[in-house]
Amino acid sequence: MGWRWFHQWGSPRWFYERAGRWQLVCGWLALILLVAGSLWGLGFAPVDYQQGNSYRIIYLHVPVAFLAQAMYAAMALCAVVLFVWKMKLADVAMQSIAVMGFAFTVLSLVSGAVWGKPTWGTYWVWDARLTSMLILAFLYLGAIGLRAAIQDPDQAGKACGILVLVGVVNLPIIKYSVEWWNTLHQPASLKLTEKPAMPASMWVPLLVNILGYYIAAAYLVLGSMRAIVLERERRATWVKELIGRA
Amino acid sequence: MLEFQFESIAAFVEMTPHGVYVWPIYGLGLLVIGGLTWLNARQHRQAIRMVQRNLEREESHES
Amino acid sequence: MSIEKRMLARELKLIAARPGDIFKPMWFLMLVISMVPLALAPDSDLLAEIGSAMIWVATLLALLLNTEHLFQSDFSDGVLEQWLFLDRPLAWLVGLKLIAHWLFHVLPLILITPIAGLMLSVSTEVLFALLATLFVATPALTCFSGLGAALTLGSSRSGILGVLVMMPLFVPVVILAAGVLIRATDGSDTLPLMALLGAFSVVAATLVPIAVSAAIRLNIGGSN
Repeated sequence: MGWRWFHQWGSPRWFYERAGRWQLVCGWLALILLVAGSLWGLGFAPVDYQQGNSYRIIYLHVPVAFLAQAMYAAMALCAVVLFVWKMKLADVAMQSIAVMGFAFTVLSLVSGAVWGKPTWGTYWVWDARLTSMLILAFLYLGAIGLRAAIQDPDQAGKACGILVLVGVVNLPIIKYSVEWWNTLHQPASLKLTEKPAMPASMWVPLLVNILGYYIAAAYLVLGSMRAIVLERERRATWVKELIGRA
Repeated sequence: MLEFQFESIAAFVEMTPHGVYVWPIYGLGLLVIGGLTWLNARQHRQAIRMVQRNLEREESHES
Repeated sequence: MSIEKRMLARELKLIAARPGDIFKPMWFLMLVISMVPLALAPDSDLLAEIGSAMIWVATLLALLLNTEHLFQSDFSDGVLEQWLFLDRPLAWLVGLKLIAHWLFHVLPLILITPIAGLMLSVSTEVLFALLATLFVATPALTCFSGLGAALTLGSSRSGILGVLVMMPLFVPVVILAAGVLIRATDGSDTLPLMALLGAFSVVAATLVPIAVSAAIRLNIGGSN
């Protein structure tokens, strides 16, 4: 006993059937949290006395920027699982997370740039966080492009795994070097270890939205994984039975 | 704590002077999440159709 | 004769057979450098200011293009497969290949950068700093672009994908090297940054060959 919960993940059928339910739960939960958090942030959180209403972009920008970085780490974790336990589902997860992570990185870049316009007076400045986010976007693109270039899915998955592991080792070095290169940005607005400088009326909706976006990301990744599992397992008996019945 | 910060819905939309920056970003966020949901659903449908086609082909071979 | 010596001898023979391969990246570097004043202005103050950075970027690009197909011919004529049967760790052989590549293909590139520096009126102190950063940083760059080359071995239509995939990882190296160049321009102490750059190169040179050998194994396993 004890390891069953883990070995279940080796079965694509088990995953496909369960993930459908999880996806539904995540989808509705994310919708409720995001609608509540965004409306709260947009309409009910007090105005920032320095930045005015433009700061309300953080209720999207900060969660998405967190996610963009967390998803790369999640992808690296999947790469470890792929190499250590040879679990194919981890490769499917890697493929899904790469696409979703790239989308969130671009969203955080665009929202950061649009926030920058009223705050700094220009859409793009070469500051540390924008720059390392841009590099992160290129890293995601690399993982997507490498997979697309190699025909055999197993081989493509392992090549991506190597790339992602090398990338995740380099990511902190890139972040610190970029920070050293440029330390003009305002300090991080929410750190989990410290009490944030914002009043509760500002950071509570932010927390709601952070949770909402994380669950939305889980919803999107699960949905994409289910589609990829079905595609890769199309010759398996369980898929034929499942779809033949329907 | 929960007090609507704007005098009217029009002021909420206006968000002087930053409405032009704030609202498009939330629209874009909606578009990204909605778009990815749609893409996932499409990929799923395509996978199902592919399996169905394979099944039909197998059946026509057997008969 | 040991395997190591024979590998180096083979590399030398390959270069003797096609000496043009050494000159192409140098040619590319000099062409890019000639484009800078044409695109900017023949103003020597302006050129001196951006010259060292331009040379760095141009050398980086030349090195990347040069390393893109590092393992391709060895892969297609089956040499890489033979490596698996030698009584040496694959990562060690990969390391040797990378060292040979650095010696015969990257070093010539570094050695002509002073000429490029003169053309862009870079001052002597900055020129020495530029040479030093290139010497210290190129081993790391060679290793990473070798990894890009190994990862894209299995794909027939990868184009410059290996370059695109690896370029983001060069960020710390470029930033540190630029830091050294800025300090050299000011006349302040460059040693701490050079030490960091060196440390990065040493760590990359020890760890990346392991990743490269994993990528090679993967491609050879996949082709069977």
